[in-house]
Amino acid sequence: MSAASVAVRRPSRLRALREFAARFSTRTDGILGVAILTVFVILALAPALFVGPLENAVTASGDPLTPPSAAHLFGTDELGRDMLNLTVHGARISMTIGLLATVITVVVGVGIGILSGFLGGRWDAFLMWLTDVFLVLPNLVLAIALAPILLDLVGDNAELLGIRATLLVIVVVIGLTSWATTARVIRSQVLSLKERAFVDRARVIGSGSGRIMRRHILPNIINLIVAQAVLTFAYAVFTETSLAFIGLGDPFSPSWGQILNAAQEAGAPGLLAWWYIAPPAVCVVLVVVAFTLVGNALDDVLNPKSGARR
Amino acid sequence: MSDELVRLENLEVHFPIRGGLTDIVLRRTKGVVRAVDGIDLVIQRGEILGLVGESGSGKTTTGRVVVKLTRQTGGRVVVDGLDVTNLWGTRALRPYRRRVQLIFQDPYETLNPKHTIGDFVAEPLEVMGIGTSQDRPQRVLDALDAAGLRPAADFAARFPHELSGGQRQRVVIAGALVMAPELIVADEPVSMLDVSIRTELLRLMLDLRRERGLTYLFITHDLSLAWVLADRIAVMYLGKILEIGPAEAVIRSPRNPYTQALVSVSPSTDPPEGEGVDERTILVGETPDAAHVPSGCRFHPRCPVAFARCAAEEPPLFDVGGGQQAACWLVEPGAMPAA
Amino acid sequence: MTAQHEARGRRQWPLPKQAVPGAPLLEVEHLSVRFRMASGPSVKPVDDVSFRLDDGEALGIAGESGCGKTTTALSLVRLLPANGRISNGSVKLFGIDLVPKTERQLARYRWREVSMVFQGAMNALNPVKRIGDQIAEPLEVRLGQPRDASLRRAGDLLELVGIPRQRAAAYPHELSGGMRQRAMIAMSLACDPAIVIGDEPTTALDVMVQAQILALLERLRKELGLSLILITHDLSVIAETCDRVMVMYAGKVAEEGPVRRVFTAPRHPYTARLLAAFPNIRADRRNLEVIPGSPPDLRTPPPGCRFAPRCDRAMPQCTEEVPPEVRFSDGVRVACHLFPPGAEGALSGAAAGLAVVSTPSAASPPEGSRP
Repeated sequence: MSAASVAVRRPSRLRALREFAARFSTRTDGILGVAILTVFVILALAPALFVGPLENAVTASGDPLTPPSAAHLFGTDELGRDMLNLTVHGARISMTIGLLATVITVVVGVGIGILSGFLGGRWDAFLMWLTDVFLVLPNLVLAIALAPILLDLVGDNAELLGIRATLLVIVVVIGLTSWATTARVIRSQVLSLKERAFVDRARVIGSGSGRIMRRHILPNIINLIVAQAVLTFAYAVFTETSLAFIGLGDPFSPSWGQILNAAQEAGAPGLLAWWYIAPPAVCVVLVVVAFTLVGNALDDVLNPKSGARR
Repeated sequence: MSDELVRLENLEVHFPIRGGLTDIVLRRTKGVVRAVDGIDLVIQRGEILGLVGESGSGKTTTGRVVVKLTRQTGGRVVVDGLDVTNLWGTRALRPYRRRVQLIFQDPYETLNPKHTIGDFVAEPLEVMGIGTSQDRPQRVLDALDAAGLRPAADFAARFPHELSGGQRQRVVIAGALVMAPELIVADEPVSMLDVSIRTELLRLMLDLRRERGLTYLFITHDLSLAWVLADRIAVMYLGKILEIGPAEAVIRSPRNPYTQALVSVSPSTDPPEGEGVDERTILVGETPDAAHVPSGCRFHPRCPVAFARCAAEEPPLFDVGGGQQAACWLVEPGAMPAA
Repeated sequence: MTAQHEARGRRQWPLPKQAVPGAPLLEVEHLSVRFRMASGPSVKPVDDVSFRLDDGEALGIAGESGCGKTTTALSLVRLLPANGRISNGSVKLFGIDLVPKTERQLARYRWREVSMVFQGAMNALNPVKRIGDQIAEPLEVRLGQPRDASLRRAGDLLELVGIPRQRAAAYPHELSGGMRQRAMIAMSLACDPAIVIGDEPTTALDVMVQAQILALLERLRKELGLSLILITHDLSVIAETCDRVMVMYAGKVAEEGPVRRVFTAPRHPYTARLLAAFPNIRADRRNLEVIPGSPPDLRTPPPGCRFAPRCDRAMPQCTEEVPPEVRFSDGVRVACHLFPPGAEGALSGAAAGLAVVSTPSAASPPEGSRP
């Protein structure tokens, strides 16, 4: 590589980043999404900073089931715990579960998608049959079916690397039910990339499959992976909430869904204790919408051809 | 060192047509696409062999077999005396690939938009471990210069979208030259370029042949291009060679009816006076698809002078003198000359 | 259908009500198109282009990419992109100027009098509609004909272009490239147009299929009395099918005239170089002439003659003044300082007809150049 071309390469990455930032800044939906997510991420990273440590039955700071007041902005639950405190701590748990599940989904989905698309033949046929099976099964139903089985298997108090096993089970269940879409999407992109002339050219100069996948295929699907990951995150948070709400979560980790579950069991709807239900529900909606906005904006910005006709 | 650089013997490339999962698991095939159906071809060192045919003729597949992008299903491939028919595998093929390179048709698709020109030309050196990191930059610049991109250092830093189609194709050529190959397979290298740019590129290819002793397999559907560039021309139809010989002979006195038809309809900027549309042998219909190859001579359903034997038996290539061969019962030695 | 038929050539069809009797079929005068660019000065891909098309004629418009030939054709039916508009000139069909007409008024002419076969047309067919329906569509939409009559006519048109009637039920992907192109031609003929514009109609096709399509166009020309405008970079196709040729360079007309004359004795240096650079299967070997340089950037066109930077016969005058168009007695029109208005064989005065009044832009006209 001549010195001239090397020198140009690095600034080109910076330039690409600047161009990306410029284009993204024109997307009001994307900006809004990023703003919302930033708030939640900050809260999730250091909840104690904002609302103090997580309250439990012993450290409950208020009277049971009081509506919002100056002392308790979101009211209290049936144990007298401050709802704001619970909700902010819930952010951390919901987002963490979402993140872990997304990682599993992306790794498995992208891995299978690339292998299947690139290798073709019998491998492709088998992997896609497998993907189709998971694709066809309704996600939530599958999750509901799997979760108790795995939870039972694992037992109530098992721990893996310091993380409660029940939490891991939820993560795994969400991952299992969402990788199929990613795999399909990635595979179809790989299939079309595989036929393109620059891949042929890479082969003809002696590149092996590994190098081709790394240098030619992967850079051209990164955009897709990022967009998929963001959307998967939204789905993961939502699914976790749903599972916890119907009692398949981890009762010791008060995620938003768990709070909703507790509200249900405490009879909050009947008691018209809206302050018990609204905060976690609104938060879930906000986060899911924010991820979706960002995901859509990214998709358009990173694939300029798709959004060109606007 | 013999004169023969490439020898293809009875080369066959058949693609199976498969259905879904059950077919794959049970290894069932629904049919076969006979893209290349038994051809013999010799390319002499230093010559430009024009491989001409319409779509579906198998010419591109033949080229891909020579550069080992497509696996043949039958026959032998011998390059410079070495039987490379069963030579496969990324590592094992590296020495071969250094000597045999490919120039692609589409200069817009061949260059990865995210890599600089310098990256593109340097990549083969990295992959094959040619040279050291010190002298590689210079090799890249030399290749760009040889391809007519000057100042080379300037071009090396640019991205594909900053270049015109003709310049991009020169980059592709530079990317092949940088390995100092002996044989270049050029698959429609100028068909996507403007007319006035085409001649520049063709000139470049001729100059490179003279300077570096290159040999070319020039694949094209345009008979006029083959006429202008090639020493010998082979005409393919549905997977077989129907005629082969010196360019002068094949174009000026074609012996196979298909070649005759092709030559008669190839347009020219000065068609002879008084020669109207009727003088052209315009064939009816289109080339059938390679999954349903006609019996006997595969051209017989569309041939204006076919007779009974043509449907029954496939003619071999007969020698018609002067190094020219044609596969047609009408030119069989001792046969009646065509009217 | 009005009973007002006027026999024109071998064909009879009712003329538009506003038609001027005796006017030529198509007359384009001083047409200029301007594209507004996102940044920088606007571009004129077509700059002061004039030509004429008579009944039953085939005119070929030749040139490299970027010379403005496609934009010229698109502007005839006003199919320009959003940032383009006709900035000057007139397009007179039967004597009716189409340039000042509104979109709604143009509908009377688009596809009914002038239709087009686009570049890469065979890929422009709707993949989820049967071709019979696609051909019948303009009949229903434009002529308001009932469905079964339209479908019957679609079948007629398919037969006309050599596709068996039964294949009207086929989808585009079931047809070969050549057949799809024939279907596009059938579609363009649906409303019995007077002019068909073909933009690189055979470029992506095999040479044998190309010959078939060109022979088809020739037959349709004779049978239907069609006039044809063929746009292509392939000079050999023009040589074999067209009566007249117009060579364009960088948005302007370089040379125009009968194909025989222009191709055997080109006057403009660009025409000569272009012909020499064309691989010719009937010529002697290895005629690989090269035209050095590349066409100019139309955002900053060179002063004077646009070909001057690449011309080996350029004179000082060439970079100063835009050469005027001069018409010769053999029917050829050239814009080159090597053939000034007083040159041998040049016509002057009323006989010069269409082209002489092309005004040089920047500099003042040389003495005696205006008739």
